[in-house]
Amino acid sequence: MTSAYILSQIANGVILGSMYALVAIGFTMIYSIVRLINFAHGDIFTIGAFTTLACIALAKLPFPVAIVVVVAAGALTGMVIERIAFRPMRGAPQVTGFIASLAVAIFLENLAVMTISAQPRTFLVPDYLNGLVDLGLMSVRMIDLMIVLLAIVLTIALVLFVRFTKVGVAMRATAENYDVARLMGININRMIMLAFAIGSGLAAVSGLMWGSKYGQISPFMGLLPGLKAFVAAVIGGVGSIPGAVLGGYLLGLSEVLFVALLPPEYSGYRNAFVFGALIIVLLVMPNGLLGRNTEARA
Amino acid sequence: MLWLDEMHVRRAGTHALRGISLTVGAGEIVALIGSNGAGKTTTLATVSGLLRPQSGTLRFQPDAGAASLSLATMAAEQIVRAGISHCPEGRQVFAALTVAENLRIGAYLRQDRAAVERDAAEIEAQFPILAERAGLPGDKLSGGEQMMLVIGRALMSRPKLLLLDEPSLGLAPRLVEHVFDILERLRAEGMTILLVEQNASMALEIADRAYVMEAGRIVLSGTGRELAGNSDIRRAYLGAA
Repeated sequence: MTSAYILSQIANGVILGSMYALVAIGFTMIYSIVRLINFAHGDIFTIGAFTTLACIALAKLPFPVAIVVVVAAGALTGMVIERIAFRPMRGAPQVTGFIASLAVAIFLENLAVMTISAQPRTFLVPDYLNGLVDLGLMSVRMIDLMIVLLAIVLTIALVLFVRFTKVGVAMRATAENYDVARLMGININRMIMLAFAIGSGLAAVSGLMWGSKYGQISPFMGLLPGLKAFVAAVIGGVGSIPGAVLGGYLLGLSEVLFVALLPPEYSGYRNAFVFGALIIVLLVMPNGLLGRNTEARA
Repeated sequence: MLWLDEMHVRRAGTHALRGISLTVGAGEIVALIGSNGAGKTTTLATVSGLLRPQSGTLRFQPDAGAASLSLATMAAEQIVRAGISHCPEGRQVFAALTVAENLRIGAYLRQDRAAVERDAAEIEAQFPILAERAGLPGDKLSGGEQMMLVIGRALMSRPKLLLLDEPSLGLAPRLVEHVFDILERLRAEGMTILLVEQNASMALEIADRAYVMEAGRIVLSGTGRELAGNSDIRRAYLGAA
């Protein structure tokens, strides 16, 4: 096992972690503002991948334009789902919202199967994204570099937005207490919709990255990355954006290194390893690594 | 400034308010007293738009000469914009926000940034602890400090009418007195206040007028002095024999 091999595996872990992190951020944002575990979140990831395909293969848009379209499509889908499926459930017990999110997930997956078929599609990105970039210690594909940089830029932008803007402060206030936020003059429906828009936009970008990197997409591609991003959000501490990012990278790195460092016959257990890691983290730190003790909203 | 007439409110399936009528005049402190569950908090929540009345009228006139508004159909944010600010029961400082953010979120609907900062600086000058602890999470303040913070937060929207729910709750007597001093000072500056209190003796001491609530109805009203001297009130709420 050479150091170059280990280095390239670490790079793979960081790339995978970037994609998990972007999905995990949405899980955490939506949970903290509506106390909803949104199992349809992985399907937004799928929608992002198919939107990318449509942009590149059908509309022949330049890749950077496709990124913008994908974010918009994800955000819009998230807002529509919130309005139609989740807002009527507001105030219902937590499990009702959870079941509604499963229904949305099943609906979206079957809609995709009916309209675009369950057949996996190949996914071609522009040639320049497959070119190698020399980083000194190693060279990586352009698309890999783009994934990591884009994830970092988006994460930093989001953290700054939530931390320092007036709307970001209002979102945090809404997440803490609806009624008191309303007494400040905050339109909480708008804040909740914004959280869905941001979270879903990021999940869609992650789907774009996944398709661009692995070259194949299908209506069910969001299931496993969605579940793992949920694990990442829980490991990081549900409700904490930095926690979701940390959880995403830890999960991506440990999953890749688990496969890379153990003999090949263990690689089939990578998903078991991920969920095992979740159980252990929750046993030791029930609120996750960076989570605060948040009780369910009354 | 505020008129409630025969207002009925249902809350969680119970008929919480059974025809409340009261008025608050500009520049007054009006106290709403009564035992737990009488409907005092529900009354304030309906005025600020958190609850909707089933029937009755609910009108607010921000300024003499201005058109009066029917609050019953307005959203909570529109009511804040119209000039009503509500300090909820239990203070309700945002733990996820710093002290400085808590103060400024009170001005959420205002667009005049420079004036917002001036107002914040003025409130911080009055309550220096808010400037000293500006970067701390809101819930790290003591109860008395949190009370200063939520009064400041409520003033940041530049209200015409301040609704205060149990400001004395959980505070040491010395701090309660301080809070009531602040309310009297606000009245002297022209603020109108509708005050809900369990601590009836303190409330009647500063109130121009007061209403006594029982089981969703107003059973008695009068000036603060009259009610403080009423023997039934003294027995029921002031702990006198």
